[in-house]
Amino acid sequence: MVLLGSVGLMASSAVLLENLTHRYAGEIRPVLVIDKLEIEEGSFVALIGASGVGKSTLLRLLDGRLRGWKGRASVLGHALSARTAPPRSRRSEIGYVFQEFALVESASVRQNVLNGRLGSTHSGWSLIGRFSDVDQSAAEQAMRDVGITKFAERRVDRLSGGQRQRVAIARVLAQEPKLILADEPLSNLDPVNSKIILELLRECAANRGATLIATSHQPRLIAPFVDRFIALDGGSITFDGVPSAVDEGLLASIYNDDDGKDHSEAAE
Amino acid sequence: MTIEHATKSSPKRLSREREHAWGVFSVSIALALLVVWSWIESDINIDRLAASGVRIGDFLSRMVPPDLTVLPVVIEASAETLRIAVLGTVGCIFFSVILGLLAASTITPRFVSMPVTWLLATIRGIPLILVAMLMVGAVGLGPLPGILAIAFHATGMLAKFYAESIEGVDQEPVDALESAGATFLQRMRYGVWPQIAPDVVRDTLFRFEMNLRESLILGVVGAGGIGFYIQMYVRAFQYEKVSTLTIVVVFFVVMIELGNNLIRRFLR
Repeated sequence: MVLLGSVGLMASSAVLLENLTHRYAGEIRPVLVIDKLEIEEGSFVALIGASGVGKSTLLRLLDGRLRGWKGRASVLGHALSARTAPPRSRRSEIGYVFQEFALVESASVRQNVLNGRLGSTHSGWSLIGRFSDVDQSAAEQAMRDVGITKFAERRVDRLSGGQRQRVAIARVLAQEPKLILADEPLSNLDPVNSKIILELLRECAANRGATLIATSHQPRLIAPFVDRFIALDGGSITFDGVPSAVDEGLLASIYNDDDGKDHSEAAE
Repeated sequence: MTIEHATKSSPKRLSREREHAWGVFSVSIALALLVVWSWIESDINIDRLAASGVRIGDFLSRMVPPDLTVLPVVIEASAETLRIAVLGTVGCIFFSVILGLLAASTITPRFVSMPVTWLLATIRGIPLILVAMLMVGAVGLGPLPGILAIAFHATGMLAKFYAESIEGVDQEPVDALESAGATFLQRMRYGVWPQIAPDVVRDTLFRFEMNLRESLILGVVGAGGIGFYIQMYVRAFQYEKVSTLTIVVVFFVVMIELGNNLIRRFLR
């Protein structure tokens, strides 16, 4: 049964999924079973649920990197294909913040941020290290927005976890995406840095009018920042509503397993 | 683990440990027999070995003082050896980049990478001196057969090293670039290359040093370089000239090694 909070009708959708299912090869149970999901443009949505319920799989699907799913999926007004990746021009419209940052450790902060421009810059010139003024200024702006300009020339492997997360976010912002997908953006951060990063993500997405979807195991921490919570269990949506509708009882039902143990990180 | 489970698995573990001990014992016996067989069949005579000291002393005394009149010839021959090693290395880098990419199972389909891996193993199995003799037969005497022999023979090892470096790449940063819309070449340039560059440079320098040492003997079969003079002076018992030659070769190899070490330190 899906518990519904007060999410009204949407003006325009960043994401629209209908009758969507996905099953990994060799698995009997599907990892995603979604009848309908619509996410409004410009909103900040948190995907919550215990480990292995399909949160990251859903993000990879929205990023166009998942193959073999069934149903209908549309992102930023364009239908996704279950067989092929979206064209290059559309891939840069979606930014993906990876759980383990996915930065090139031996490269500088600036180069990692400029890597976010690879989808929109001239492929030939970029191979010899030339990026246009537009690319350079987008990277500069992204670094300014997340506060990493002062160590732009430093190698990434010399940075702390919080600084790396900022670089990963700056790389995505340099893409100038309309949809930002963040997979566990707080998993490597302490509570203080987590709040700073959440504020940063929300502010940067809002300034660019981008939609933000983040998975998290810390619903209590993320609640003040998001517009909407979507909980998954067994690949299906079990709750969809505003943060005020999320109470301790609901969180317990989302995270507790059969032995009654709470698996949310906040409880730990 | 329950007590019942532990007691059931103990005999199995004991049996596995016993099998392992027997395996180690059997391999040790086989290796010892191999050494004994090699010693007996090689007809090694300790008396002859002891008597050789006098002759070695005689050779060494005839190497002093070095005959410096051959210095210009030896330096020119050494320079030719260096040219063979440099051009042979350039050739093997060219082939290794292509074959290394094709042999890397993480970026090339298995039905391509497997045969290329076997091809590289076959190349490594053919002795350099045999390749050099075949090349002399094909293109005639001089440095060209030496260059071709080095390029062919060294590709077997260098392409394998390149393929292993590519296979060891952390895939997440490459996926992040793909997600941002980077093309295949951009992913290679900005995702793969920065990760493998230190290994590739280190392996290439190592192979260059090996190529240099191997090109010293190529002249013995007429494939150019200082090997021709080594053979000529030793056969003519002109040990004072061999002495000059040895000093030049040692100086030359040590200089190259020092240069390589400097480059490696810079890369670190």
